[in-house]
Amino acid sequence: MNSLKGIPIIKLDATPVMSHGNALPLLHEIEVLLDQLIATGKSGAIDLRSLPMLADDYEKLKEILGEGEVKATVDAMGPSQVRETAIHGVWWVTHFNSDATVLAEFIEITYIPEILQTHPADARMGLENLRSRLMSTSQVDKGETDV
Amino acid sequence: MSDDKTLAETLAQRGISRRSFLKFCASIASLMAMPPAMAVEMAEKLAAARRQSVVYLSFQECTGCLESLTRSHSPKLEDLIFDAISLDYQETLVACAGHFAEHILKEAIEKNDGKFILMVDGSIPLKDGGIYSTIAGRTNLDILEWVAPHAAAVIAVGSCAAFGGIPKANPNPTGAVAVSDIIKDKPIINVPGCPPIPVVITGVIAHYLTMGTIPDLDELGRPKVFFGDSIHDRCYRRPFYDQGKFAKSFDDEGARNGWCLFELGCKGPTTHNACATTKWNGGVSFPIESGHGCLGCSEPDFWDAGSFYTALSAPTKDVANWAAIGVAAGAAIGVAAGIANRSTKTETKRTRKPLTVDDLKGKPKS
Repeated sequence: MNSLKGIPIIKLDATPVMSHGNALPLLHEIEVLLDQLIATGKSGAIDLRSLPMLADDYEKLKEILGEGEVKATVDAMGPSQVRETAIHGVWWVTHFNSDATVLAEFIEITYIPEILQTHPADARMGLENLRSRLMSTSQVDKGETDV
Repeated sequence: MSDDKTLAETLAQRGISRRSFLKFCASIASLMAMPPAMAVEMAEKLAAARRQSVVYLSFQECTGCLESLTRSHSPKLEDLIFDAISLDYQETLVACAGHFAEHILKEAIEKNDGKFILMVDGSIPLKDGGIYSTIAGRTNLDILEWVAPHAAAVIAVGSCAAFGGIPKANPNPTGAVAVSDIIKDKPIINVPGCPPIPVVITGVIAHYLTMGTIPDLDELGRPKVFFGDSIHDRCYRRPFYDQGKFAKSFDDEGARNGWCLFELGCKGPTTHNACATTKWNGGVSFPIESGHGCLGCSEPDFWDAGSFYTALSAPTKDVANWAAIGVAAGAAIGVAAGIANRSTKTETKRTRKPLTVDDLKGKPKS
């Protein structure tokens, strides 16, 4: 074996483990958190990356939660996908970096995920911004009227 | 240099939105096994924080730790931690050199006396007055003893700073020691690894900035959130270990099926680190996922813990080797004290077993 070509290529027929059986316990946890949201208004979240989740676990979770009617993409230093599942109040939030690598993934049990909400400080900044634009616009309009 | 602006103001000036920041904190909270709800609180606190002064000293090391930190997989998002700190001194990154660089270090210490975080990578040689590693004519020991008393806390980055690492490996020719062997009156956070996982370094800094305290540490001074579990606990191959399915060589059917690498020398069961969950190279994989056992690089004296290819369950010296050790010991008896160090080196050289193709195939030595 003196070169790369000397290394044989072996095709495998292996069936790797695809599930840790974590989907069902998670669904029960989601049930408890959704019940809590309705009763107290308190949001909850599950960090999917903190658990050993394999492909079949994900598929089962996605299959049972289903697809809802809201899909949003936040473009903040890489995309974040926010999707409401078919179970209202249960959101699937995936944060990617600019290389499309998953940074964090959560199931959020809430009325609206935090990342979609406008922060009060940003709203104040927005108000200042809007007033500044209105002032500029009215000055331009005034100038045109004078002409 | 440090300034009076909050981090949120600094970020806004750079066009970085609050949502980006929240996303960064969600990633860090996830890595640090914090409750997901903590991300919001963390973002609020971090946004209101003033930039933290950091002084980074490099001693007896290879610069791999700094490479790990500065070449992390998601540079744009990881850059946020550089916005959260003011890296006031780092020899490799500092633009100037010579007396100017030394002046910057002195200025950073005076300006933030008692407030800055001191990051250290590399071990500190003590033998022969510490002459084996000097900077601007001063030994590493001298510099550390000068800077550390002025710091709020010390982060020992990498296995060399945390435990002595490879420079301390037998026969430790320079008398290398860890930071904690010298500094006794400051909180020290050990972030070992060869190199450490970049987001672990970032996470420790983020924790300090948001909570104002150092994270909970284990008995070796490592943050429990990253070093609380063994690699084995979180390894995706763990089910095969439980089923008794082991690869016997690196190219047998077991290896191809992704079975447990325990019998090929994997040190996962005795190694505490976050590789199995955080992974490397942008979350692509970690050594075990790439088909090689864990070397145990985040544990003390990993370089002297026997062959990387011997199972943890195997005796540290096999019966056949006892005869060779007996000869080596007999030879050592007659050696005069003045050349004891040389004899140690000779014994090390004698007992050192070069890696062979048979080792890789898992065959017994002939």
